[in-house]
Amino acid sequence: MRALGIISFEDNTANIEGLCDHRPVPAIAFMGRYRIVDFILSNMTNSGIGNVQIYCKEKPRNLIEHLGDGKHYNINSKRGKLRLLYGEKSFSSDVYNHDVANYMLNMQYIEEDPNPYVVIAPSYFVYPIDFNDVLEQHIESKADVTLLYTNAKDAKTQYLGCDVVKFDKFKTVLGLEKNRGKLKNQSVSLEAYVMTKKLFIELVHKAAETSSLYWFKDVLADSVNELTIKGYQVKGYVACLNSLPEFFRVSMDLLDHSRAVQLFKPGWPIYTQTNDSCPTIFAEDAKVSNCVVANGATIEGTVENSIISRGCTVRKGATVKNCILLPGAYIGENAKLDHVVVDKYAIVHHIKKLEGTDAAPVYVARRDRI
Amino acid sequence: MRANNMVAMILAGGRGSRLYDLTKKVAKPAVHFGGKYRIIDFPLSNCANSDISTVGVLTQYESVLLNSYVARDHYWGLDTYDGGVYVLTPRERDTANLEVYRGTADAITANIDFLDNINPEYILILSGDHIYKMNYDKMLDYHKKMNADATIAVREVSLKEATRFGIMNTNKDDMIIEFEEKPAHPKSNLASMGIYIFTYKTLRKYLVADAKNPDSHHDFGNDIIPNYLNDKKRLTAYRFKGYWKDVGTVDSLWEANMDLLKDNAELDLGDPTWKIYTEDVNALPQFIGKDAKVEHCYVTQGSVIEGSAVNSVIGTNVVIEPGAKVIDSVIQPGAKIRAGATVTRCIVADDVEVPAGAVFGSKNSKEIQLVAGKSE
Repeated sequence: MRALGIISFEDNTANIEGLCDHRPVPAIAFMGRYRIVDFILSNMTNSGIGNVQIYCKEKPRNLIEHLGDGKHYNINSKRGKLRLLYGEKSFSSDVYNHDVANYMLNMQYIEEDPNPYVVIAPSYFVYPIDFNDVLEQHIESKADVTLLYTNAKDAKTQYLGCDVVKFDKFKTVLGLEKNRGKLKNQSVSLEAYVMTKKLFIELVHKAAETSSLYWFKDVLADSVNELTIKGYQVKGYVACLNSLPEFFRVSMDLLDHSRAVQLFKPGWPIYTQTNDSCPTIFAEDAKVSNCVVANGATIEGTVENSIISRGCTVRKGATVKNCILLPGAYIGENAKLDHVVVDKYAIVHHIKKLEGTDAAPVYVARRDRI
Repeated sequence: MRANNMVAMILAGGRGSRLYDLTKKVAKPAVHFGGKYRIIDFPLSNCANSDISTVGVLTQYESVLLNSYVARDHYWGLDTYDGGVYVLTPRERDTANLEVYRGTADAITANIDFLDNINPEYILILSGDHIYKMNYDKMLDYHKKMNADATIAVREVSLKEATRFGIMNTNKDDMIIEFEEKPAHPKSNLASMGIYIFTYKTLRKYLVADAKNPDSHHDFGNDIIPNYLNDKKRLTAYRFKGYWKDVGTVDSLWEANMDLLKDNAELDLGDPTWKIYTEDVNALPQFIGKDAKVEHCYVTQGSVIEGSAVNSVIGTNVVIEPGAKVIDSVIQPGAKIRAGATVTRCIVADDVEVPAGAVFGSKNSKEIQLVAGKSE
């Protein structure tokens, strides 16, 4: 596919509380063995995009380790390239650290890429998509920009802070505005775009010249009258991981295997960094139901409606219900957890009971001991 | 090769005929074990963990899958600048037609040019058929310390078992003075594990001489080792303690899998200091259904369990449908146990579909039943 892939970063309305203190959204562990970035990156490589730039707003350490040289994402080590890019220059204030500023600082890498098109998408929307289909429609429609969107059915509680799109009857974008949860049915922008690289560069410059606080989506919103922006509806599974309750809800929703295979579509592999974990041990007294379990875990207790990531331990007599245990979490004997997100390598053994709710799951911090 | 100047050669040509249909289309070293591994992952991971960077794999029987598998040396981190996994199959030559490897020693002799190119100081001969974790670098230290020409890894067995193995009779310094293949009246309980370290220069001379001997079986145990002993070369026994299993039969393959379920299992595949590496399959995590029961099981990714699994090893992408029961069994990757089927004391071969309601095996069976696909 003749496109440069650009994985953009989300704006400040997306904040998975707690988890984001330790790493950027794309590096957050998701569904037991993945990181959020795996989905959009696999979409790109599965679509035949060999040159991918991943922009990181801050805290790149986790992401560097996870992405490596991109070989495990099926990026050809000779003909392809995975670049993790971030602002070399530190920003005097967080408000200046936005996507446009980072594109400007790395403009040479965008300019020197030989592909005529760009595919831009952030990682915090997870969905399967073949970008070849999008590019095909883009070229056929003769649009300047093609914008991916989903028809959300519960925009009152989901996709809050995302952009909703107003179309005319020819699916031409008339305007973009923030979703403040007023309407149930909304077309939500996935902040993913296809356009020529030339136009992309022009728009980035235009944004930078207009305002030093402009994000890329701001310049697009400004340009709806001058440019033809067409919508491309993503009809299958889409989820937006932009808050802790949403991260929790989406994870729980994917415990249903028939739902999960809409995201993990057969023939459309989601790549990730391997950890060479051994299989998971279910002990004699283990009681496990409705769970997603990764490798390398040891389960001796009772686990219901939960996601158990790589290398987690649930000791005897412990009860884990409606929880997400991130990699390496340890739940000691007889601890009772309900609606808890336990971050990586945290140890819960002194406190015997932790209870949250769907709207406010309890968060146990990374490497915490409680 | 830089690390310890030792090249490993893995003999992986065995057919494994007592595994029946499990080795109908793949060589024994490629047979799955422990849900996600293949047998040859063990010697290859041991090599990687022992700082060995160059590994030759000698294949012969049904080698298509095995060759393509081991060639992906990055699975085991063996894709270093100066190392790699090299697939060595029988070949046609300028002076001779294609000849299969005639014995374990012949397989090495036939690749002397490969070894000469690398020119290692030591050569490690391994079998691709065994499940164990071993630090070959420590064995090399021992070989050097004993100033040996050859070092043979041995493990202690009962005298009764000793009649089934090649037995090393040693002096008080563990120097080998006699080798007996499957002795009726064993004098020692030190069984050869088929793991040898040779100083390459010496071995090379013996291999060349052996190749010219028309009466030789061209076998390490039968020919090379006895010749070393006749010439009073320094042969030492290296005692190995720990888990080791030849998984050459359906029963022993099943047993070795069941060993993974034991509390404080001797064979701990979760030890972060000695990982066993394998193919990275792009499978989802495990999905355990609402009404599922999973007790005392070893389960790997990609499996979807909606029925019940007790005391079993469940491989990659295995499906156990609602109402299906898997008891005391090993389900190899990709197998599907359809609704209501019951499988007890079985090995269900790769990608086999057990039809709905079918019953295989029984709680009191003497032998483990192999459930394989229809023979082609």
